[in-house]
Amino acid sequence: MTEEFKPQSTSAPGTPVQAALDPAEKPATFEALPSEEIVIPVLDGEKPPANAPETQYILEMRNISKSFPGVQALDQVNLNIRPGTVHALLGENGAGKSTLMKVLFGIYKKDGGEILLNGKPVEFASAKEALDNGVSMVHQELNQVRTTRIVDNLWLGRFPTKGPFVDEDKMYRDTKVAFEGLGIPLDPRAKVSSLSVSESQMVEIAKAVSHDAKIIVMDEPTSSLTEKEVDHLFQIINHLREQGTSVIYISHKMEEIKKIADDVTILRDGRYVATHKANEVSIDAIIGMMVGRPLENRFPPKTNHPGGPILEVENFTSADQRSFKDVSFNLRKGEILGVAGLVGSQRTELMESIFGARRIEGGKLTKNGSVIVNKDPQTAIENGFALVTEERRATGIFALSTILFNSIIANIADYQNRFGFLNDHKMGKDTAWSIENLDIKTPSQKTLVQSLSGGNQQKVILGRWLLTQPQILLLDEPTRGIDVGAKFEIYQLMLNLANEEKAVIMVSSEMPELLGITDRIMVMSNGRVAGIVNTAETTQEEILTLAAKYL
Amino acid sequence: MKKNLWFVVSILMVAAMLIAACQPTAATQAPAAGGSTAALPSIGFTIYKYDDNFMSFVRRAIENAAAGKADIIMNDSQNDQAKQNEQVDTMISRGVKALAINLVNPQGASAIIEKAKAAGLPLVFFNKEPNATDMASYDKVWYVGTTSAESGVMQGKIIVDSWKAHPEWDKNGDGVMQYVLLKGEPGHPDAEARTEFAVKTVEEAGIKTEQLELQTGMWDSAKGKELMDAWLAKHGEAIEYVIANNDAMALGAINSLQGNGYFGADNKFMPVVGVDAIPDALVQIKAGTMVGSVLNDAANQGLATFELALNVASGKEVLDGTSWTLDDVKAVRVPYVGITLDNISIAEESYK
Amino acid sequence: METSASRPKRGSNQVLEWILNNAIIFVLLVLIIIIIALEPSFISVINLRNILAQASTRLIFALGVGGIIIAKGTDLSLGRQVGLAAVISASLMQATDYAYRMYPNLPELPIFVPVLAVMLITIFISAINGFVVAKLKVDPFVATLGMQVIVYGLTSIYFDRPPYGAQPIGGLAKNFASFAQGYIKIGAIANLPLLILYATIITVVIWALWNKTRFGKNMYAVGGNIEAATVSGVNVFKSLMLTYMLAGLLYGLGGALEAARVGSATNNTGNGYELDAIAACIVGGLSFNGGIGTVPGIIFGTLIFQVIAYGLSFIGVNPYLQYIVKGLIIIIAVAIDSRKYHKK
Repeated sequence: MTEEFKPQSTSAPGTPVQAALDPAEKPATFEALPSEEIVIPVLDGEKPPANAPETQYILEMRNISKSFPGVQALDQVNLNIRPGTVHALLGENGAGKSTLMKVLFGIYKKDGGEILLNGKPVEFASAKEALDNGVSMVHQELNQVRTTRIVDNLWLGRFPTKGPFVDEDKMYRDTKVAFEGLGIPLDPRAKVSSLSVSESQMVEIAKAVSHDAKIIVMDEPTSSLTEKEVDHLFQIINHLREQGTSVIYISHKMEEIKKIADDVTILRDGRYVATHKANEVSIDAIIGMMVGRPLENRFPPKTNHPGGPILEVENFTSADQRSFKDVSFNLRKGEILGVAGLVGSQRTELMESIFGARRIEGGKLTKNGSVIVNKDPQTAIENGFALVTEERRATGIFALSTILFNSIIANIADYQNRFGFLNDHKMGKDTAWSIENLDIKTPSQKTLVQSLSGGNQQKVILGRWLLTQPQILLLDEPTRGIDVGAKFEIYQLMLNLANEEKAVIMVSSEMPELLGITDRIMVMSNGRVAGIVNTAETTQEEILTLAAKYL
Repeated sequence: MKKNLWFVVSILMVAAMLIAACQPTAATQAPAAGGSTAALPSIGFTIYKYDDNFMSFVRRAIENAAAGKADIIMNDSQNDQAKQNEQVDTMISRGVKALAINLVNPQGASAIIEKAKAAGLPLVFFNKEPNATDMASYDKVWYVGTTSAESGVMQGKIIVDSWKAHPEWDKNGDGVMQYVLLKGEPGHPDAEARTEFAVKTVEEAGIKTEQLELQTGMWDSAKGKELMDAWLAKHGEAIEYVIANNDAMALGAINSLQGNGYFGADNKFMPVVGVDAIPDALVQIKAGTMVGSVLNDAANQGLATFELALNVASGKEVLDGTSWTLDDVKAVRVPYVGITLDNISIAEESYK
Repeated sequence: METSASRPKRGSNQVLEWILNNAIIFVLLVLIIIIIALEPSFISVINLRNILAQASTRLIFALGVGGIIIAKGTDLSLGRQVGLAAVISASLMQATDYAYRMYPNLPELPIFVPVLAVMLITIFISAINGFVVAKLKVDPFVATLGMQVIVYGLTSIYFDRPPYGAQPIGGLAKNFASFAQGYIKIGAIANLPLLILYATIITVVIWALWNKTRFGKNMYAVGGNIEAATVSGVNVFKSLMLTYMLAGLLYGLGGALEAARVGSATNNTGNGYELDAIAACIVGGLSFNGGIGTVPGIIFGTLIFQVIAYGLSFIGVNPYLQYIVKGLIIIIAVAIDSRKYHKK
């Protein structure tokens, strides 16, 4: 099936995205380069390049160490940030990025090392103190009071007062000024709950700027943004850079790093690996440093062979007027069908409607030639469907429960004996199957799911659905927020399923994985199907054009 | 670290309070004066609920009567029949010689009779009357209380006397008494009996009545006031008499009337009667804002209960040395007393 | 084409939507219409005055617990704190010529002494609630449930003791009674009860505190997202403490007014008031998820229950039925609310 990949390399070479997508571009280099050799030519943090004085850095984190009982989370880690640059902090989940940032913000107390801000040693006791010193963070899960207005969020903790009262006019004016400076087209008096993720994020950035932040940490800022919103975010970041603000940028998306970052620092297993100028290192080299071994390919080779049709969706229309309408497509056995589209294109709603979790006004489902009705998720499961939801935390996992509980919960009827009691042995056996086959890294079945990494959590959920013996898997953003290694495993799992004649629908906002793993891509635009393309024959541009078709 | 400290401080505070709370108090056990407790017969009492105002006087009367004569164990059943049953078990195991029980609900009698029977203990119920079948099921059970209907009859008599003495209270001159009635909790034997017999007594005396409103104020002052507010807004001067099943609601009604210009400078008057003769009501009767009330004689109920219990605990005849009489269901009936300005000293006396 | 086709449908949907979202108002209107149909004299200034006066203390309590609910808490000790305040203030304000005073030798006190005293007591009790919730991280439901029982015990101990035992504390001094029962004459038409005046002043002050001060905005923020408030440098502990203490202040003041309004107090005064107050808040649009709620909403919630209670008594409906109506309204209100919430 490698033939299917070939046309990709013909499309628009040179853009980082395409370069990354093409596994054949520099394969020789990688396989030849063991990780040790990659490290050698880097700019070591302790030996700054070009003999520049130390004060050339606005922030220096030197030899930071932090251990938790049984774990050395950080071991002599360095991070040096130049003023007015975007500095990407990279590493797999568990590499220590979050821990390092938590040390910076005083959430964790460091065991060793020192932090210099403008050459002066600092040790913040709280996020608030860091903020007061111009070090600010835009969280991955946006920390906002969604029930109040933008202005209330922006000035929270430091409301300007006039006499005993809060000075509403000043708040409004200052917010307006900050927004104009950043090109944010929002009404400061709007409720935060009415904002999109991207807009909320802009508010957070504006908040950091209004604190006179010299350093803004952005943790996975684009994980839920559309391409268009990412562009806007990058404009804002460029704007910040021009004004001399430094940005520490944490992301899993290599394409973005190439596009926006000046410097990259890579961590692995709590250790400092290297710092590079972003334009001097390739994506594959970065990935190689992150995983500590050369990674030939970000996607497993495509081995599946789509067969005859399994599912026919005809004229699906949501009961909600604002959602999708008239959606028709088919799905073949052993096929991986991608669903692309911008945020708001109603992909999630479509998946949930097929699964019977949302009401439809009209439409027909035909599975293996006979018409079926998924009136609720229970029926859908009986009909051989499985849905892995987008919001893992909100609708997928039971964080405070064990892996065993999380594994068997969708299939509970199967474990009941005739008295209605659950068969412990069978549940344990199936959970063990799940842990083994999906390679879930856990000490035991009794481990609480909240203590697993994002990738392992996702695997637990996948395992749960595989135990229901589905023929059709609906995966909504299955790789969001999980690291490169775990992504690869999930892709492999999808291919294995396809090889077993199961059909997979994958909703994704990440263009590379859509292009890298699917057989066909259905592009949705504003609740309608804008087109279905063969992955082997399409380009990123075509998909983006289709995605904007009904806007 | 700091948080742990706070926990320790909190736990220490709680511990200190527990130690303080475990000091024996007079309410839970009242050994007789003199210290020769061992020689005195031990009698177990339960009060259905300590903070019931009437029962608090009965309790005081019992405690006063017991001084020097018996070793009494007093329990607060906190309006919970299950709790009361447990208290009875505890008292039996502590070896009391007799039980005196103020039931939480009258249907709870049979269970307690069974317990007493099993232990061979004599049993005196008071204030809440078990049904006749239960009373007949054990030879060593007696009752001290009143006749519910009597309080209604007494209240009716006060209404009759006052209405006849004040023809001007028939404001519209139609010869009919238009009244409103504040009822206690529906289904409560006292509420039902008082409502029925007060009006019946008035009609039997030849006075025509018309009921303008009848609602439950659930024995509560605030509810009595709010109902009266609404009725005054609705009927105004058409109301000629306010009858309340207890004094708390009557006082609430008086409060409302005062707010609507009654009993003030312009001489607007409204007759109000209640039941219980609580201290606050006596003050109102003296001030002329309340016509009368009915005294449920706490002192004598308490005294009778104790005397009966002491007799049976000491193995004497139940009425030995007392002036009480038993009726056909082995009950001592302590009479109610109608209280108006003329005999208010009787009620005042009972609070001294 | 697409939009024009869907527009009329959307329009009729919107009307339905609006009706559903405001169903509580319609329920209220229907009830009022039924009451008026059965008893036309319901429409009168006196009834309006009575309803507002009776709603006054309840509004004060609802505003107290409302702040706590906005800060994502709850307060089950409200009623018992009101009872404690009522009993203590009444015991300190019995008329000097009343024969059954709890303190026979107490001189006549100026009104502000007992009112201030009980306010300090309930502020202290609520501060403990706040401390247990904010510092010891005990769930507010549990913390205040415990406090409810404790305060009832305290009140009963205070209430049930010599010289007169568990007697309703009555015979209140004239000036104390008129503190709550008095009114201002407005022309010849109507008298404005002082209670309504107090409630109005308190409502305005609370509105300003919630909407115009740092304290209020922090309270909303803590309730809306405690993490966000923390990282923004809000002193969450202080915020919660102030919220609970403000509630305590209102309970104390309201408890004293309650005693003066009713003319007596017992250890059962205030029993169950927390449920009425919380129900009023919920019907008024507050959410147990925190961060949401307005003063006008709480006023509306309080009034709707008062209109029902008063109106149904006025037409002589079985009081048990009032409980059923009240319960239904709570459920309908919350159902509508969660419907709105799930739409987003």
